[in-house]
Amino acid sequence: MMKAPVRFETLIERHHDEIYRYLWRLLRSAGRSDGAVEAQDITQEVFLRAYRAFGRLRRDSNHRAWLYKIATHCAYTALKRDQRQTRRTVPWLDEIHHSLADEGLLPDQQALLNERLEMVRREIAALPSKQQAAVVLRHVQGLDYAAIAQALECSQESARANVYQGLRRLRRVLAEELDE
Amino acid sequence: MDARQLKRLREAVGTPSEGAVSQSHRRAQNWFAQTAPLIQWDIVESPLGPLYIAASKRGLCSVGFGVSQKDFLSGLDPLARTKLNPPALASIAEQLQAYFAGARTAFDVPLDLSQLTPFQRSVLQAARRIPSGTVWTYGQVARAIGKPRASRAVGQALGRNPVPIVIPCHRVVASDGSLGGYSGGGGLDSKRLLLHLEGALSCHD
Repeated sequence: MMKAPVRFETLIERHHDEIYRYLWRLLRSAGRSDGAVEAQDITQEVFLRAYRAFGRLRRDSNHRAWLYKIATHCAYTALKRDQRQTRRTVPWLDEIHHSLADEGLLPDQQALLNERLEMVRREIAALPSKQQAAVVLRHVQGLDYAAIAQALECSQESARANVYQGLRRLRRVLAEELDE
Repeated sequence: MDARQLKRLREAVGTPSEGAVSQSHRRAQNWFAQTAPLIQWDIVESPLGPLYIAASKRGLCSVGFGVSQKDFLSGLDPLARTKLNPPALASIAEQLQAYFAGARTAFDVPLDLSQLTPFQRSVLQAARRIPSGTVWTYGQVARAIGKPRASRAVGQALGRNPVPIVIPCHRVVASDGSLGGYSGGGGLDSKRLLLHLEGALSCHD
């Protein structure tokens, strides 16, 4: 039985949100302060490109990984476009406060946690872009290594190595305890 | 890396607000609505079960039965936007109901066969000329399009008929008197039923 073809409109429904989040995270990790608007523009570009190439895509392809590949391309292109722009420290974003507000932390614990997270963020920003993308794809977006390899256009071994090396550099800041 | 560290990693990477996500989602949907060709569809009740019909702006592009709604829709042009819209298909729906009631033998609607090759189109145009109540053989259709040795290719082209019943590929049978094949839903049972309905088969066939 041949696999039923996937409709493009289904791809938008299923994958738009995660692709947007991925782009937002990549831009932010690369030090873009106003990720929201730019991520939206790049997301539109990703689906436009995908639409144009969709007819040539094999029916049994991993559509999700294919969209991630286009997204990674588009993000890097956008980041290169104004490479001369100096990297700035990413300002603190409200979302993170909200995600932690319900944990019942005291104000000074919260301040300490914010500081720790800021350190993690700086380490992530300092990673080579491929390690950065690989770590986000594996541990935030939840892709398996076959899909990461496709998205980053490398072998599965290389995908694994990039995740591993990225995490190794982050391990120290991630392991620091709040109540030391 | 333990769960706590992964949690901290995710928190550091961050998550965009739901408002920003849904704003981008709507933008993608609007862009798609303006870009993608529209295919409208409807369902007609028939002796063969639910009959799905779909039309592009050029004309009727798909007729399906013996399949699920999901499978019918996924067989339409994957780049198009689909919309259930009975009024857009009212004319062909009425004609099909009249056909199943025995009050009509041919259809008068614009067709969209743009997804087919010129050869497939010529075969289907020939099949369209077969009067109700009669059958042709694959060889007769091949001769009608000036390619008398192409019986097998004719059979394959008929098998890709996107609008069965409306283009009556069921009126083409094998030269040994058997029914040949049928690619419409329900297979040969459907072919037999349609030919009975048109009086081309006697009851014991």
